[in-house]
Amino acid sequence: MRIATAKETYIADEGLLVTATQRAWMGVLLAMLVLAPFMLNQYWLYLACLVAINVASATGLNILTGYTGLVSLGQAAFMAVGAYTVAFFEGQVGTPFLLNILAAGLVSALVGVLVGIPSLRVKGLYLAIATIAASVILHFVFTHWVSVTGGVRGINVAPARFFGLELASPFALYFVIVPITCLMVLGAANLFRTRIGRAFIAIRDRDISAEVLGIPLLRYKLMSFALSSFYAGVAGGMWAYFFRVVTPESFPFATSIFFLAAVIVGGLGTIIGSVLGAAFMTLVPELLKYVVDWLAPIFPNAGAALSPVRTIVFGALIILFLVFEPHGLAEMVRRARRFFHLWPFRT
Amino acid sequence: MDWLFFTEVTLAGLGSGALLSLTALSFVLIYKATRVINLAVGEILMLGGYLFFAFVTAFGLATWLAIPLAIAGGALFGFVVERTLIRPMLGESSISVLMLTVGLGSVLIGATELIWNTDPRALPDFMGQTPVFIGEAYVSRKIAIGFVVSALVIALFLLLFRFWRGGVALRATATDQAAAYSCGINVPAVFSLAWMVACATAAGAGLLVGAIGGISPTMGVFGLSALVVVIIGGLDSVLGALIGGILIGLVEAWAGTFLGGEYKLVTTFSILIAALMIRPYGLFGTVEIERL
Amino acid sequence: MTSLNRRQIMGLAAGAGLASAFPGFTAYAQEKEIVIGGSIPLTGVFAFAGVAIEAGMSDYVKLTNEAGGIAGRKLRLAYEDTAYKVDTSVAVFNKLTTQNDIHLYYGDSTGFAKTINEELNRRGTILMAGASFGSELNNPEKYPFQFMAGPDYVEMFAILLEYIAKAQPGAKLVFVNSDTEFGRDPIEASVKRAKEMGLDVVAQIVTPPTAVDVSTEVLKLRRANPDFTIFHGYVLAPLPEFMSQAKQLGLKTKFMGTFWSMDNSLWANVGAPADGFMGVMPYRYYYDTSPDAPILEKIRKLRPTYQATGYMQGFLTAMLMGEAAKRTLAAGKELNGKTLKAALNSIKDFDTGGIIGVPISVPGNSVPVGRIYQFNAADKQMKPASDWISLKK
Repeated sequence: MRIATAKETYIADEGLLVTATQRAWMGVLLAMLVLAPFMLNQYWLYLACLVAINVASATGLNILTGYTGLVSLGQAAFMAVGAYTVAFFEGQVGTPFLLNILAAGLVSALVGVLVGIPSLRVKGLYLAIATIAASVILHFVFTHWVSVTGGVRGINVAPARFFGLELASPFALYFVIVPITCLMVLGAANLFRTRIGRAFIAIRDRDISAEVLGIPLLRYKLMSFALSSFYAGVAGGMWAYFFRVVTPESFPFATSIFFLAAVIVGGLGTIIGSVLGAAFMTLVPELLKYVVDWLAPIFPNAGAALSPVRTIVFGALIILFLVFEPHGLAEMVRRARRFFHLWPFRT
Repeated sequence: MDWLFFTEVTLAGLGSGALLSLTALSFVLIYKATRVINLAVGEILMLGGYLFFAFVTAFGLATWLAIPLAIAGGALFGFVVERTLIRPMLGESSISVLMLTVGLGSVLIGATELIWNTDPRALPDFMGQTPVFIGEAYVSRKIAIGFVVSALVIALFLLLFRFWRGGVALRATATDQAAAYSCGINVPAVFSLAWMVACATAAGAGLLVGAIGGISPTMGVFGLSALVVVIIGGLDSVLGALIGGILIGLVEAWAGTFLGGEYKLVTTFSILIAALMIRPYGLFGTVEIERL
Repeated sequence: MTSLNRRQIMGLAAGAGLASAFPGFTAYAQEKEIVIGGSIPLTGVFAFAGVAIEAGMSDYVKLTNEAGGIAGRKLRLAYEDTAYKVDTSVAVFNKLTTQNDIHLYYGDSTGFAKTINEELNRRGTILMAGASFGSELNNPEKYPFQFMAGPDYVEMFAILLEYIAKAQPGAKLVFVNSDTEFGRDPIEASVKRAKEMGLDVVAQIVTPPTAVDVSTEVLKLRRANPDFTIFHGYVLAPLPEFMSQAKQLGLKTKFMGTFWSMDNSLWANVGAPADGFMGVMPYRYYYDTSPDAPILEKIRKLRPTYQATGYMQGFLTAMLMGEAAKRTLAAGKELNGKTLKAALNSIKDFDTGGIIGVPISVPGNSVPVGRIYQFNAADKQMKPASDWISLKK
């Protein structure tokens, strides 16, 4: 704990940024986010956008799994719903793109509520499997509702347009995706300062006790599903504008696993965890490529032979974090901060 | 209605259902003892198939020797995993351990690609080719063998749980760990045993599945179908695995034949959701009563 | 309160971004170079093909450079693994195109091709080919900067149908496909075409992507009792099981497949049950010693062991790319999507050095040529079963 931060009011205690230093660092971060597109090349901008999309979806999953304690392996399917919604509205209705993204969130939220209905009766691991079932059924809908989803061939999405300006390059989309993600992360952080967010946490810790305390379980669990899939839907909508083609195979089951892994590696039940986890899990495979490049002079076939290593590293990261750092990257950040706060004293 | 055709389809469904049951058994054993859903079962299946492949082709062993060796390899793998990864996770939330097994599956896939590369391969034939006819109805030989082997193994397990000391110890551990401990049951040993037996079963199932469909680093998806079986049957019920497997096998066969192959998955998963809504702990699973 | 970690990460990211911006300048310095970019699936479900494709492409690059390059310029292959995922492929594309001056690109999947073609149309600087023979891509109006070094899937079926119509007019057919985009691609169009050719498609069987056991499908096949069964959307599994069960049942049907399930080593491992399997193959096999195939001789010298069909696909794709670049430079034009595609379409009766047994032309986005091969289990080899079949538009 940092010294000289005594709080005098409850409002101050609940604040997101408590100290001046925190505010300063947040300012630096925001400034960097604004400056980044002018400093990075297209490849890194592409990655930045991808990270932002994944952060949005991971934050949603963290609301559901990390804060409410409902395990979902269907996040990819909710993203797909969002992506298809955008593709449908863009192609067949022609509404402005920001509205389409919002619609993507709302439609996904609706589907999320439907999927969440079993959650009152079905718990824990059984629920996780039920969400897998939901994603299989959604996948079936995507392939067979040809008039809306274009069947197995999917739909091509026209680039987003903003006052006649075509948003097609990662540079242009950065200014859409990153602000939306920032807003969503901020929203999630604020959520847990409200009654709803706290109710979620109460349900996670012990759902029966929560009910005794006067939290209607069904309503709050469904709300959590709705919020989580809203996030996924918006992320999927941004994904659709980013890749500009949506097919049933765009969001495989492995993507759901990826998000759960990202949330766990980042830290369940922390906002910064979802941000760090999604960024980390998205960037590690890319950074591994650099490692392979460095190794290329030593092992001439490194590119081909070391590629399965990426699959191994993905699995090993999950295992290592779970065994050695169960609270994830968020905990590592916390420890690092404590170290600097207390320096030169040791914790 | 062509009754012979229907009978043949049903028999085929029973056969693949038995394979599902066998794989499901691996889930059930592990869940019963350690309350862990092992999502890496599919990959252990794959490991069994590849081990057999390696023993026969690379080391040139005879088939009758390679089969038990591959199964023993599965058991060894189960032992190592339980001691090094699962035991340190005791007391962690079930989702953490679930994800641990997902990570394990990913590592196994990567390692397989590294060692045996990614080509799909066919297993050396060890079942023969002559077709089996029951009356007039045709059954594929491999499916018939798979059915018999699965039925025998499941029957064996049912007997072991009833009469063998280790089986009773496992049931006791499943019912109440603390009570089992205080009765002098070596609970950690039961954990080890359950993982070894379960992984050996999975490796054996991998041999059968690999003999039918060939082996490749992606064959682990078969585990997902078996997962549906255990969820419908109940995670901690051997009988549930048996009945669930047969049920799903039949439904898949009928749906595939009379609706079309693209309806197989969606039908089984719809049944899964329906079953969960009616019985949240599966058809034969233990209902967990929560108290404050 | 500080968040030094975040600062470090951002700093690193920014630093790395700046650093990776520099290779752009270095590439400028090496003007005398033609770079072929590649999103190649070295891992994942399609890795068996990706690894071979990479080998084929780099061998073509090597042979060409040993022979002095293209118009004095050296060829270079810049590629990365995609794990057969669309988003990774796009990442690789963005990365490679920022770091290199790329006008030729190899992409891995139909999904990637569809995604990136919009970008290609916008840039207009790159000609792309890939591992996908998706019939949708064979549309020069919608995909002006795309080509494939072989027939598209519908054309592959057409070649098979042509063969069947000649061998057994009015034959009964069954199509078996997997329930994926890849599997469904040619089915609808081919059913129509078969009807036009007087062939009778008596049943269509769809298998789910995870199918292991195919006994119920075999039972259906037995009821339909076709003369020919054509598989599409598979690599190997579940074909061997299909065929061995059909043999057990005494079915007379002949089994056929399309390019990606035609690899010789896969079938050599299957052995006896695979005997008689036929399929359409746009290229010659590695072991083909025909006198009019000098390039296969060179390949065998370069790589003493069998190379998969993906190798030939990669090799020919790179060759067509090289040829397009050569013709563009010879005409004194700069390299961009339009000039390269025009040069590619100018290829008429081109000698591939024996990779394809007949001179080829590239009228649109595809090379509609192929030959029926049949597997001979005794020799463990695919043997030609027909002459080269060129489709006429």
